[in-house]
Amino acid sequence: MARTLLIVDDHAGFRATVRTVLAGDGFEVVGEAEDGTSALAAVERLQPDVVLLDVQLPDMNGFEVAAQLCKQNGSGPQVVLTSSRDATDFGPLVPGCGARGFIPKAELSGAVLQAVLR
Amino acid sequence: MKRTQLAVLGAALGLTVAALVLTFTSDHEDNAALVAAGNLVAAWAFIGSGLVAWARRPANRFGLLLTAVGLTWLLGALAESNSSIPFTLGWILGGLYLAVFVHALLAFPRGYLETPSVYFAVTAAYAVVLGGGLLNSFFDDFSDECAECPPNAFLINESRLATDVISGLIIAVGVAVLGVVVHVLLRRWRAASKPLRRLLSPIYATSGASLVLLLVALPLSAVSDSASNAVWWVLVFVFASVPLSFLAFVLQTRLARAAVGDLLVDLGAAREPKEVRAAIRRALGDPTLLLGYWIPNANRYVDVSGLPFDVKAHTADEGRVATIVEHDHDLVAVLVHDASLLDQPELVRAVCAAASLALARERMVQALKGSERRYRALLHAIPDLMFRMDRSGTYLDVKGDPRDLTVPPEELLGSNVRDVLPPNVAGQLLAGVREALETGKVVTGEYRLEVGGALRDWEVRIVKDGREAALIVREITERKRQEDELRRSRARIVEAADVERRRLERNLHDGAQQRLVSLSLTLRLAQARLATDPQETERLLKAASDELALALEELRELARGIHPAVLTDRGLGAALEALAARSPLPVDLALTDERLPEPVEAAAYYVVSEALANVAKYADASAVAVTVARRNGSALVEVADDGVGGADPTRGSGLRGLADRVEALDGRLRVESSPGAGTRIRAEIPCA
Repeated sequence: MARTLLIVDDHAGFRATVRTVLAGDGFEVVGEAEDGTSALAAVERLQPDVVLLDVQLPDMNGFEVAAQLCKQNGSGPQVVLTSSRDATDFGPLVPGCGARGFIPKAELSGAVLQAVLR
Repeated sequence: MKRTQLAVLGAALGLTVAALVLTFTSDHEDNAALVAAGNLVAAWAFIGSGLVAWARRPANRFGLLLTAVGLTWLLGALAESNSSIPFTLGWILGGLYLAVFVHALLAFPRGYLETPSVYFAVTAAYAVVLGGGLLNSFFDDFSDECAECPPNAFLINESRLATDVISGLIIAVGVAVLGVVVHVLLRRWRAASKPLRRLLSPIYATSGASLVLLLVALPLSAVSDSASNAVWWVLVFVFASVPLSFLAFVLQTRLARAAVGDLLVDLGAAREPKEVRAAIRRALGDPTLLLGYWIPNANRYVDVSGLPFDVKAHTADEGRVATIVEHDHDLVAVLVHDASLLDQPELVRAVCAAASLALARERMVQALKGSERRYRALLHAIPDLMFRMDRSGTYLDVKGDPRDLTVPPEELLGSNVRDVLPPNVAGQLLAGVREALETGKVVTGEYRLEVGGALRDWEVRIVKDGREAALIVREITERKRQEDELRRSRARIVEAADVERRRLERNLHDGAQQRLVSLSLTLRLAQARLATDPQETERLLKAASDELALALEELRELARGIHPAVLTDRGLGAALEALAARSPLPVDLALTDERLPEPVEAAAYYVVSEALANVAKYADASAVAVTVARRNGSALVEVADDGVGGADPTRGSGLRGLADRVEALDGRLRVESSPGAGTRIRAEIPCA
């Protein structure tokens, strides 16, 4: 059974591309959110297995959203951070927020996401 | 005494001896001893006085005239001769001394006759005395006056009528001449200044008495011989006192020595230029005397108060003359005094010599006073506060605007800095004073102090001044404010640059980078679908191409925001035309053709760019006018719209950032934006 996925990014064009790419690679995209607040609400409502979370959001940053989602201890979704920047730009923030991993946007594909989640 | 004077003295002695011999051998003189004594007294009073005066003032003929009176008096002794011709000559010349006396009197004190009327009077006196005597001798055998006398050698024809007529004539002319003399002397007396009158009074008194007696004796001789003789004898002695008064006048220059002695004592005690002047006034007997000190550096005279002294103006009056005072051949001072003092050149010379040292000393004081006054004026022109303070911090002197002081100046004097200023400032100043006193170096510092209800900044320079310190304090509040403003402006510029970089990073990240990431993903997707789904692949490639075009457009916009290439390549005019073309509103451009310095063009571009953006966003305007002109070495940039106005330059960072950019080039940015009257932004940027 395909894993359910929530895409959180403030760029509609990117969300559409990612939806096409990951749907083709076996993920079931159950929803999209354009900022941190609506992302938290969507997780509450849709209960996705995985949240693909952009680090830079208009209202709060991805690490804060990740930290809140990871507080749910096992019951919450697996969070994977993504950004057009490199992971090294964020230093210790990526491992410290409880996310499963980080994927640079340009390298995003179903296979890479699967590898991070495994 | 010179040779001529010695010769005259010799002649006088000879004449005296001759007169004595004639008198004592005379067979018609009843009272030889008395007559000889009278002659000696009267004649030598004049001869002696005259010789002394002549010796003292050889250039002045007055002494000679005085001597001549005595000599001609002695000629009268010829009438004592027992021989006919000398007797007759003595009779004729017996009155000559009177004419000479009138001459001397009218020539006094200058030694010459000053006006034609005086000259005429003197000539008439000589004429009447000599001519009258001679004429009389032709008709009078003198037997009435002197029965024992020798016969008149010149007698032509005894005529009572003729002698009466001649006598009447002589008396008439004589009285007329004496009237002129009295008139002239009175006129001179009235015209004389006080010091001159003081000098003249004894001379006038004795001469006046002599003339009155003469006026009485002349007509009396026609009435009563005995009465006339009595008056005559009184006249002889009064007359003899005249030269003594002249002598007293001449000797006054001797007495002046005493005055000079007093002057030296007075000058020694004088502490002020005014006291010096008073001493000289006393010594010269001229209370109107003025004193001017020569100040060599300034090349002018100053008076006792140190103010400029115009010698020309003070000597414009005829009765005032200037006498130069020198010391060691240096011009020291000038005395402007009554012209009558010229009649006492020795006194003036002696006083000048005595006063020159004191004047030379006073002149230095006056010169110092002058420079002190100049420096004081200069000092007062300096807005700085000045204090003098001793080592313990006690104020000894203060100069400055009381509004710049924490306490009034009179309270400050004698107070200690610790009691007047806050502990931190007082401590700083005391430490500075001690450092300046110990090292002798200028110590500088700055402090902030509340004065007059406002916190103000001050800069102090402390210099050693003997055993005390001088503190020169200047307010630097405005400078500090400008420095603070400059610092803030720099900080804002740095911050604006940071904000700009963040904005760029954000724009790159949000715009082109996102599109390129999407493009990358799309291309990989297309690659994966290429074999299985050519239709889908074609759609993906189309989407990728559109995405790429958008990314390029965003990059171009971004680059233009960083620095418009057209500005660098083609100048402000072309850049502003491009801005105008992109503006949603019609823009009226009026631009100078001249290229401006690059930083000025950039600043002007951003002023216009920001202003046009503001107009588009807020102004609700229908048109904008942009002007760039070069005037007086500055670029003038103006953007004016016809919108709603009411823009507030203090709000928002856009206009503040523009002002910083313009001020960084020493320019000024002004915003005029009354509500309803449009907005006018004017930048003036120096092109130096």
